[in-house]
Amino acid sequence: MNTKTIAQANTVSLQGLKKWVLIGIALAFLGLFIVIPLIAVFSEALKKGIELYFAALTEPDALSAIKLTLITAAIAVPVNTVFGVIAAYAIAKFSFRGKNILVTLIDIPFAVSPVIAGLVFVLLFGSQGLLGPFLEANDIKIVFAVPGIILATLFVTFPFVARELIPIMQEQGTDEEQAGRILGANGWQMFFRITLPNIKWGLLYGVILCNARAMGEFGAVSVVSGHIRGMTNTIPLHVEILYNEYNFTAAFAVASLLAILALFTLVLKSVVEWKSRKE
Amino acid sequence: MGITIENVSKSFGEYLAIKDVQLEIPSGDFIALLGPSGSGKTTLLRMIAGLESLDSGKIHFNGVDYSNKPVKERKVGFVFQHYALFKHMTIFENIAFGLKVRPFKIRPSKQEIKERVYDLLKFVQLEHLAERYPSQLSGGQKQRIALARALAVEPEVLLLDEPFGALDAKVRQELRHWLREIHEKLNITTIFVTHDQEEALEMADTIVVMNQGQIEQIGSPDQVYHHPVNAFVYRFLGRVNEFCDSDNEISYIRPHEIALKKSAQGNSVPAKVLHVHSVGSLVRIQLNRLDTNALFEAEINTEKYQEIGPLKKGDLLYASFSNLVVFGNEQKEPLTAIL
Repeated sequence: MNTKTIAQANTVSLQGLKKWVLIGIALAFLGLFIVIPLIAVFSEALKKGIELYFAALTEPDALSAIKLTLITAAIAVPVNTVFGVIAAYAIAKFSFRGKNILVTLIDIPFAVSPVIAGLVFVLLFGSQGLLGPFLEANDIKIVFAVPGIILATLFVTFPFVARELIPIMQEQGTDEEQAGRILGANGWQMFFRITLPNIKWGLLYGVILCNARAMGEFGAVSVVSGHIRGMTNTIPLHVEILYNEYNFTAAFAVASLLAILALFTLVLKSVVEWKSRKE
Repeated sequence: MGITIENVSKSFGEYLAIKDVQLEIPSGDFIALLGPSGSGKTTLLRMIAGLESLDSGKIHFNGVDYSNKPVKERKVGFVFQHYALFKHMTIFENIAFGLKVRPFKIRPSKQEIKERVYDLLKFVQLEHLAERYPSQLSGGQKQRIALARALAVEPEVLLLDEPFGALDAKVRQELRHWLREIHEKLNITTIFVTHDQEEALEMADTIVVMNQGQIEQIGSPDQVYHHPVNAFVYRFLGRVNEFCDSDNEISYIRPHEIALKKSAQGNSVPAKVLHVHSVGSLVRIQLNRLDTNALFEAEINTEKYQEIGPLKKGDLLYASFSNLVVFGNEQKEPLTAIL
């Protein structure tokens, strides 16, 4: 073997070494911060047996928290899906003055701390708030009640669908819609037969992320909820209460629901990505 | 369907895209809107389709004012530059789209739609592609499907935006003949936009030469090529040499109109060969006039070249410019990018 091939062999093995060091670091990091905590959640939850695990989940306060979380997501996700599609359509397919401002506004929930978002609703609808006297006079409860939780969730999850769709729609342009128009399609036909099929995977992806956030949101909801057990607790808030009461097994049991949701979301997301790549 | 365009103008913000255009298109005509990019040709086509609104003026279809009618009432077929086929639909569904979206009362039955689509597929000779998706087709196939889709709704006008722009030279040539044949078969008023003068000359019955939002000349290919009304049309329709004399007057001549001889004759001008290159059956020769030092290009066929050639750099020839064209009162423009 001459010196040149030895040098080559050395660079090759050095490259290989680099590769494995980098992969190792990434894996170690993932293990430390994601996999171990995930295992911890489930092992803590099941530590005292499966009966206690299910007891913690079926206890009335837990059931009420699950129900409220589902209701919140069932309202916030469809509403934000519709508004997200409308906003993305407007931004991607039309040119108008103030478009950039609209794009920036859509991003605000990403930029603002969720706690501030919750606080805004308290300041707006709370009894000391701007609309407080009016709401009290008409006996409408928003803050520290279910409507407040839904509003806060709507605010926090607004950008997901729109953000996902804007680049997809911009890339697709308006050619196909124009072709549809010339062939005689009306607005609804154009949307449901041309626009929607073209964005379906992106839309589904946005909806999945939106749903994950709607169910998992803590900060904004915590501020407007008032933490009334069995009334205004969502799953994340219920976990916190249980934890603060040193009821670790129950806390982890309920938390495992969110962990399962996260895993489910990841699987769904991969499926959607795989499907959309295939097309 | 005959189309009359009356004093139509259109601007995008500050930019005047169409300036007071008048155009009469007789029924059944095959017409080319020819011009450089930014000349307003595509805008004009889109206005006829109803995809752009008019700022002023009127567009009549068969004498009826259609200026403000919505797109779907216009009975136009439109073929987009990049085809705009529906990506998520099969070829069959693409062609059937225009029939399927019709209101229930005038929608053909499923069976009728199927028959019509297969008739069209047969017409464009792509029956075997019915179940494919657009991404599985070649450019030429997409173009033909785009045309079939436009024809499905039985339009009275066919509008094509740079129909062959995205295709390679050979396919383009085939499709030109094919589109010509289709026009002859269907005899529907057809308007296509192109920046390629050869395409316009080869295909159209009438050429509308546009520049900076205005029409420079309307005429048959013969008229616009042999009797251009101004320097722009002359320069745009073919290769051209420009000579500027001492009074700053510019005269023009096409390379193939210059006669080259080995010996002086009449008022011929001595010129030195700079470069020779053959393009298929033609030979293009770059020369340098010895009297004015101006550069020019001559074009001769290979037979003629064998008579006077072979030529090499530095050879002396005598050129006669018998057909010099002069246009009155025009702005002087630089000679760049014409040859």
